[in-house]
Amino acid sequence: MKRYALFLGCTTPTQVIQYELSSRWVCKQLGIEMVDIEDFVCCGINQVNLSQEAGLLLAAMNLALAEKRGLDILTLCAACTGHLAESVERLKNQETRDRVNNKLRKMGLEYKGEAKVKHISRVLYEDVGIDRIKEKIKIDLSNLRAAPHYGCHYLKPESAFNGFDDPDNPKTLHKLISATGAFPLQYETLNLCCGGKSFPVSREVVFYLVQKKLDNLMNRNIDCMVVQCQTCYLMYSDQQEEINKQLKKRYNIPVLLYPQLLGLALGGDPKNELGLDLNTISLNRLLAKAGINRRI
Amino acid sequence: MKQDKNRGGPIRVEELDPNFRSEVMKHGEAQELNACFACGICTAGCPVHEIFPEYSPRKLAKMVKLGMRKDVLSCPYIWDCVTCHNCEQRCPQNVKFFNILNVLKNMAAEEGYAPNPWVEQTKQIIKTGLVFPTDEALFEKRRSFSLPDLKLDGSKVKKIIKLTGIDKIKSQTKG
Repeated sequence: MKRYALFLGCTTPTQVIQYELSSRWVCKQLGIEMVDIEDFVCCGINQVNLSQEAGLLLAAMNLALAEKRGLDILTLCAACTGHLAESVERLKNQETRDRVNNKLRKMGLEYKGEAKVKHISRVLYEDVGIDRIKEKIKIDLSNLRAAPHYGCHYLKPESAFNGFDDPDNPKTLHKLISATGAFPLQYETLNLCCGGKSFPVSREVVFYLVQKKLDNLMNRNIDCMVVQCQTCYLMYSDQQEEINKQLKKRYNIPVLLYPQLLGLALGGDPKNELGLDLNTISLNRLLAKAGINRRI
Repeated sequence: MKQDKNRGGPIRVEELDPNFRSEVMKHGEAQELNACFACGICTAGCPVHEIFPEYSPRKLAKMVKLGMRKDVLSCPYIWDCVTCHNCEQRCPQNVKFFNILNVLKNMAAEEGYAPNPWVEQTKQIIKTGLVFPTDEALFEKRRSFSLPDLKLDGSKVKKIIKLTGIDKIKSQTKG
């Protein structure tokens, strides 16, 4: 099985460590080796606001660090995925690459265009495969109904993903959820953005978009949402609580990160291996329904 | 409601900048702008437009073409883009409005319109390489789950940021 350089990004290792924890555990079970590169820094996506060149340089620096070790990058965050993959595309242009490398050389680095980027779900889908995941399932989660949320940058810009999934009608996360036995819901606001990228500057946008999706999901008899990005996670869980508090609403939809759901099906310890107790909205009801007799 | 005092009323011809369009389009990312025929599918699929009808990718593209430099760069809504990429995904003319918007934001930032959170994030990554501050409680929590320590070295980032000059950008001195 392939080795990858694990790209944690900024938010996961500081605010959503259960995503890192469960991802590491799940990959270990499925034979994906993750290599930590301590020199990795911010992928650069937010710097694009001030300077597209700064955003590209930061992405190129991270790509160069992985390439130096002969590794492709495995990402957890959808936004890091989109930005790094888009940067790989931009850096295929010789003129752009030369300009960027002239600057990277000042730090003893160079990106030749070899290192590529894959989100953890894509690695699970393509490298491990649905069939092999199914073979490893120890606990059947078929009592659960889950609403998938893909995350915009997992799918777009489409040109950066080689036709991996269809941004207008995505299927990969549905299939990954099905592999655990759980039922993946198809719903009207499936492709709606979480708003996370404007969270630092506009709570109004986040509150509106999060509520629109939760309103759609409230009476759909689901046990949880399943996301594959820590920023989407924070919007739908922590901001769900914030909306309840500030706007006196009563949303109550637990949110799982995909490796946590898969981890449960693989028989992982909900607390120590998957960090379910760190999730903002309690998952005890979901665990009971899944027949996992462990409270967190 | 945000202050957008430059908007509304007729276009003030004396304020138009005929060079604005070419200034935007000299950035490689914005080259397809001329292909826009203002069909508006970008705006129709924009979640931010749904919240703030004043924000419209179609309108902004037209404003750039007309040379409405001041109105575009001081428009507070350009910073609310959620980066969902719907505008470019759905464009029948392959105009990458998402990239054009980034060019506009970069120009607006140079002119002192950048919101504070983005300027602060730049200051933070120069320190530690990550956009969020860290503390001892986090390090303890990570260790309790046997997760590796974070290196938190911003020195290389600092060099990169200095090369682009965005360390000198100040937040919202105007607008």
